[in-house]
Amino acid sequence: MRDDLLTARDVTFRYGERDVLVGVDLRVGEGKVAVLLGPNGAGKSTLLKIFSGLQRPRSGEVAVLGRPPSSYGRREMARILSVVGQDPPLDFPMSVEEYVMLGRFPHHGFFGQATALDRREVDRAMAMTSLHELRTRGLGELSAGERQRTAVARAIAQGARVMLLDEPTAFLDIYHRVAFYEVVTRLSESCGVTALIASHDLVLCAEYGEQIILIAGGKVRAVGRPGEVLTSSNIRDAFGVDAVCDRNPVTGSVRVTPVRKGREGKP
Amino acid sequence: MKRMALVFPLLAAAFAGAVVLSLLAGPVPVSLGQALRALAGGDAGGPAGETAARVVLTLRLPRALLGALVGGALSSSGVAFQALLRNPLADPYILGVSGGAAVGAMTARLLLPGDSFLPLPLCAFFGAALAASAVFLLARRRSGVSRERLILMGVIVGAFLNALIMMMVALAPPGRIPGAVYWLMGDLSLGTPGRVGLLAPYVAAGVAFLFLLSRGMDLLLLGDEAAFQSGLPVERVKTAVYLTASLLAGSVVAVSGLIGFVGLIVPHGARSIVGSGHRRLLPAAFLLGGTFLIAADVLARTAGPSGELPVGAVTALSGAPFFLYLLRRNGGKP
Repeated sequence: MRDDLLTARDVTFRYGERDVLVGVDLRVGEGKVAVLLGPNGAGKSTLLKIFSGLQRPRSGEVAVLGRPPSSYGRREMARILSVVGQDPPLDFPMSVEEYVMLGRFPHHGFFGQATALDRREVDRAMAMTSLHELRTRGLGELSAGERQRTAVARAIAQGARVMLLDEPTAFLDIYHRVAFYEVVTRLSESCGVTALIASHDLVLCAEYGEQIILIAGGKVRAVGRPGEVLTSSNIRDAFGVDAVCDRNPVTGSVRVTPVRKGREGKP
Repeated sequence: MKRMALVFPLLAAAFAGAVVLSLLAGPVPVSLGQALRALAGGDAGGPAGETAARVVLTLRLPRALLGALVGGALSSSGVAFQALLRNPLADPYILGVSGGAAVGAMTARLLLPGDSFLPLPLCAFFGAALAASAVFLLARRRSGVSRERLILMGVIVGAFLNALIMMMVALAPPGRIPGAVYWLMGDLSLGTPGRVGLLAPYVAAGVAFLFLLSRGMDLLLLGDEAAFQSGLPVERVKTAVYLTASLLAGSVVAVSGLIGFVGLIVPHGARSIVGSGHRRLLPAAFLLGGTFLIAADVLARTAGPSGELPVGAVTALSGAPFFLYLLRRNGGKP
């Protein structure tokens, strides 16, 4: 087990005059489900883009499996690292199965035919995300939850060891959020996939996250297990919100409940 | 999947049917038997057969083949532009090719002596290539080429070229311009065996190269960021698709003039038959585009009360209602 699948050292980034990241240090180990928490504009998406090679840091170093993203060929990189955005385009003109097959591009390339292995991986990805029934449907006919699952399935079919997920559950109800985190947990436990998830979901990240990275103002404020990071003072510090952090009586995980202003001490 | 297995034989049969129809249609009567004998190179059987064979081999077959090449190339180029710009209204002419070709053709008519027709295609091709390159270079930034900037620059360069065309029309000595104007309306009568032979390798190379890029075009539909993260060298693929599709359109425009609508609607028709995967879409669009243009040309040759109608008018007249039909059938989405 390597402890340096994703590393960032003293990374800074700015859009124009605005500092987005100011000296971020980060390390995500193999097979971990890591959650990147932080307020809007904290730089979570930017950090994911830097890891996937879409953006270059202004200074500092990032590495995927010990090498900077720019040192990989495009397809080589995509075989190691896949990315899930919020959902596929609404009017994407393909069937679920064709769309998931696009995830095999880094393996068969421009000219190769889809092999039996490619088809097997696509089947496996659709099975993990319960998409088999929908395989011939057009993407435009799916619900938000189903579209989100196809995006995850495409990333699974890509067969990468590292998955970056940018607010993947933003538009989903609680049922689909739980289902999403179950799939990611299964990927990490049975396939050794490392996941870095940018999220606003304080409840489910406490339940499913193994490592929480709290960033605010372009800096890492706290790193560790959910119980260590999700404290009242950290949450006030990062989000400016008062919250009670106690234990879930069933699972024992930390439970974050915001406190309505002026309601402290009232029944 | 069973349906797919039938699609390509049917498209090929429709294509062959259109070619045969175009061999038979025209003022000189040719029977099916005479046409087939002429194609097979067999004995013509008498002077009437010989005339028929000559008409088929020197006039109608080259013209049908030119229609196939032009229709197929414009449709393939349209497929590529629609994928590149992720815009259903894109066609081969959207980014400067048409204006550039027109300025090139008019320059040839105005500056070159006499009625020599050969330099016109060359000038049209260079005009198209120059305009397309200018649009691309203007839209390019350090971070790459964005769709929005490409469309914006296409509009700006197109407007500039249109102004040039108006200036040329206004300032030209009388009698020089009409030839070029008629040429701009689109015309397949230049289909001599020599020209078809000259154009065929360009079209074959361009379409084959686009076909090799078909997986890349599939991924471009995801948007640039997602395509990049899926392992596609996005900027290189966009450049290759753009240049190939532009040069393909430019080379057929040089021979046939500006035949509109084929490159816009045939991709949509082909997509409604085989879906959006470009490995099937490109060959289907090529066959369908060839069939459509040959059929439109037959109509243009035979429907006019005196002489030929411009084939570009026929494609637009028949294409616009078909486009409306597609729009309605797909619930407003082309």
